[in-house]
Amino acid sequence: MRAFIEYFAAIGRTVVTLGDGLAVTGSYFLRRPVTLQYPDRTEKPMVALLPERSRGMLEVDLDRCPGCTACETACPIGCIRIEVSKGKPRLITRFDIDLGRCMNCGLCSEPCPTECLKHTKEFEGGMYKPDLLLIHFVEQPVPVAPVKKGEPGPPPKPLGSILRRLLTDPYGRKRPAPAPAPAAAASAPAPPVAVAAPQPVSASTPPVSATPSAAPPSTPATSGGPS
Amino acid sequence: MQLLAERIATWLGMEGLPRQAVVAGVVLVVALVVATVVLTIAGILTWAERRVAGRTQSRVGPNRVGPLGFLQWVADGIKLITKEDVIPAAADRTLFRLAPYPVIVGIFAAFASVPFGQKLIAADLNVGVLYLMAITSLVVVGVLMAGWASNNKWALLGGVRSAAQIVSYEVPSVLAALSVVLLAGTLSLQGIIGKQGGWPWEWYLFYNPFTFVAFFLFFTSAVAEGNRTPFDLPEAESELVAGYNVEYSGMRFAGFFLGEFANVYLLSAIATALFFGGWQIPGVTPDMQAASPVWQAVGVGLFALKAGTGAFVVLWLRWTMPRLRVDQLMGLCYRYLLPLSFAMLLGNAAYVWLVPQWAAWVVQGATTTVGLAVAGVFVRRVFYHIRHVGDDVSLDLARGESGTFDPQLQVRVYGAFRRRHAGDSAS
Amino acid sequence: MAVAIPHREELMLNMGPHHPSTHGVLRFILHTDGEVMRKAVPDVGYLHRGIEKIAERQPFAGFVPFTDRVNYLEAIFANQAYALAVERLAGIQVPPRAEYLRVIAAELNRIASHQISIGSVSMDIGAYTPFLYLLREREKINDLFEALCGQRLTFNYLRLGGVAFDVKDEWLRRLEAFLDHFEPAIDEFNSLISANEIFVKRLAHVAPISAADAVGYGLVGPNLRASGVDWDLRRDQPYGIYPELEFDVPVGRGIRGEVGDCYDRFWLRVEEMRQSCRLLRQAVAKLPAGDVCAKVLRKLKLPAGEAYGCVEGARGELGFYVVTDGTDKPYRVKIRSGSFAALSIIEHLSRGLMIADLVAVIATLDVLAPEMDR
Repeated sequence: MRAFIEYFAAIGRTVVTLGDGLAVTGSYFLRRPVTLQYPDRTEKPMVALLPERSRGMLEVDLDRCPGCTACETACPIGCIRIEVSKGKPRLITRFDIDLGRCMNCGLCSEPCPTECLKHTKEFEGGMYKPDLLLIHFVEQPVPVAPVKKGEPGPPPKPLGSILRRLLTDPYGRKRPAPAPAPAAAASAPAPPVAVAAPQPVSASTPPVSATPSAAPPSTPATSGGPS
Repeated sequence: MQLLAERIATWLGMEGLPRQAVVAGVVLVVALVVATVVLTIAGILTWAERRVAGRTQSRVGPNRVGPLGFLQWVADGIKLITKEDVIPAAADRTLFRLAPYPVIVGIFAAFASVPFGQKLIAADLNVGVLYLMAITSLVVVGVLMAGWASNNKWALLGGVRSAAQIVSYEVPSVLAALSVVLLAGTLSLQGIIGKQGGWPWEWYLFYNPFTFVAFFLFFTSAVAEGNRTPFDLPEAESELVAGYNVEYSGMRFAGFFLGEFANVYLLSAIATALFFGGWQIPGVTPDMQAASPVWQAVGVGLFALKAGTGAFVVLWLRWTMPRLRVDQLMGLCYRYLLPLSFAMLLGNAAYVWLVPQWAAWVVQGATTTVGLAVAGVFVRRVFYHIRHVGDDVSLDLARGESGTFDPQLQVRVYGAFRRRHAGDSAS
Repeated sequence: MAVAIPHREELMLNMGPHHPSTHGVLRFILHTDGEVMRKAVPDVGYLHRGIEKIAERQPFAGFVPFTDRVNYLEAIFANQAYALAVERLAGIQVPPRAEYLRVIAAELNRIASHQISIGSVSMDIGAYTPFLYLLREREKINDLFEALCGQRLTFNYLRLGGVAFDVKDEWLRRLEAFLDHFEPAIDEFNSLISANEIFVKRLAHVAPISAADAVGYGLVGPNLRASGVDWDLRRDQPYGIYPELEFDVPVGRGIRGEVGDCYDRFWLRVEEMRQSCRLLRQAVAKLPAGDVCAKVLRKLKLPAGEAYGCVEGARGELGFYVVTDGTDKPYRVKIRSGSFAALSIIEHLSRGLMIADLVAVIATLDVLAPEMDR
């Protein structure tokens, strides 16, 4: 008799629980879907949807960089490479960050005394060749910034504006100067700062954009190095 | 069919042609039409499946190709046709190439006797139910061939599982259908539909408690025969990777795929004919319908609607249920479905024999009421779930206002960081 | 469930390393008789990244981001276990606010990890939808983490001596809003799948682990507790500020089958999510003001010594054994992870199970390839 009851109880449990499960999934026909249709149908550019602490790709503002190499030391995987010449105006001759190896841990930006090395919110760095993510921030040797601890220094540039200028498209071509839609909204506040310096340099290093793997563009670094 | 052939021959003014030739031509044309319709239905169902899956999982599903992504199935079809047809080196090439055809033939041939409308049926066989049950069994041959010929252990397991499953579940599904045949006194699907009416209480579903249960038994076994979740063991993704069709690609894979979806529609079409009154329109007698092309069209639409709802439920089930284990699958069939469908058959026999007409009406009304009450409880439960968690399940909840872009804020945050660690770097 | 297998020819099947239900790249060699297994031999090492070796060439603080990668589903716990070991060696006192923030981060991470775990149980049993519901909820936790520390998976939130970022009140309100939403969502999940009779039948009475076996094979965390052993590091070997918080430790009681079966292991994680919600609410309410990180030298040099730091992770005890030799780098780091122990019992359990059961066993033991291979 107990087996008999259990037989029908099992049927009853199955029917009731399956029905309840159907009610749950059925209720979702009446609710709004939550999908964020990422690349092209977000209500705002994706970068604008990220929280302020979001750790994306790194960028360095050389106008504020004191050349202290604290970030280079702090980086656990050594993806930052800095060379500073020993002359009287000390020149930063090389500031490379291999974003392809960077694990976005944030340990490099912590010791930075002037906040010149920062995580942007940029995260779309898909490239057909990994070495396209090796970003050479020094296009022409720049003197180290005389910023002292606690001093304001030059005004910070809009976050991501430097990186967006240097980052190529997936094929290694320079991105067009007026940045496409996602970038435009973010860089809107201060375009003059972003476009100020680098015009001659980008013209002097065409190999970067044309055949990126063939020419590791250390040309500016070597020319400025032995001073 | 032969009558139809003669009528067409007369209509074309070609009485002189040999009758066999006309019959062959007509059969060919009808077969092509049915195949096209079935392919379209299967294709649309693949789209529907993905939309249903999306919405049940609070996603949107495909929405890029065409309005609501409706043309997705065309794009998928083109992709599958243009893909390379890979045959594994160690496979049994002949069997491997042949395997999709029994599946396609088995399913598509069954559509020949599906009553889409009062007049819209390719062949109203007097053994319609029997024919449907028999011809769909062809599928198992193809699945077993595919599993064996792939020369892949996972595929073989899938094929064997499928064979065991389809053969077992044939029995309860036929027995459950027999309940209806018993009441209608005919095996012809048109005859069975003709015995029902347009209103829900005139359907065999609510005819008496035994048919009510028989419907669920039939539906369950039909879903199992179609290898759909919760009985999708032959292609259990998390166990057998993809089961019997793991080595297939391109159009041959599409053959299995379309066969599966055509089967979903087929099983709901059969259920519609057997239990849901088929093309019967509420308030319109079959004679009235026969007389008017407009009612005919409405009837066809109603049938499509009912069968479409059935297919929708099958898709919905798939995205709700977990999967049974092999031994439980067999246990379910032989311990529950088989005895119960026997019981329903005997119950129906006793019902026809013993219950007088006035009592039958009362029972019919009571069953309908119970059915509607169950539906009501279900709807209440749906709204309970919406209330309990809230309608808004969107991601904005955790994103909050600070999702907005504020470069100044970012600088400030990192500034705080720097200040905190200022002492460290100095020392 | 044990089925007597006649001595016959057996079928050898390769399950993995690419298989939908071996989480990560993990390979099982199955010896089966049809669907019934004679044994399943796990083959590990496909995801070995040498994290323990990496530790030997990193400064103490520099190794923290690598601990995230020990198990990407419970990065905070690895952070914390390593930080505990080093703090013990260096004698660093963690400020109370940082301790509370560690609890908040850890419990959020525990929920996120359990969501993946029980979600993949349901997916491996064949129900795909519950998994996506839980992923949707996990997405909110990821958003919270992103707002908290800037990353969604490999957080690197903890530092030696505290945490990296302070929280704002607004973030705490959002956390509470999430908890208000998530607790009913657990009920919904339960009515969708946990109560489902097919699901229960698939898990109940399958591969029960006795308490003696569980202890013998070194199972930890939910797998151990599901077998009826009441052992939780948060309570029995307290660290951080767990003694100040109230929570229950769910223990397997065989609610639908027998103690220690697959359903117990599954259900225990559901209950732990509720307990984590409880802990989170308390931690938010009690969060004291103050500093979030102690002063720690950037070039930390530790005297020769050794220390073991362990936390109750989502997959049980996650321990870092750190040996120092007076330099600014560890001499040796050994990681003890729950998944590896859980994997070792599978061969013992597998005899007489069906292939479908093996999938359930792997999923309910919550074996994750990166954690056992490191």
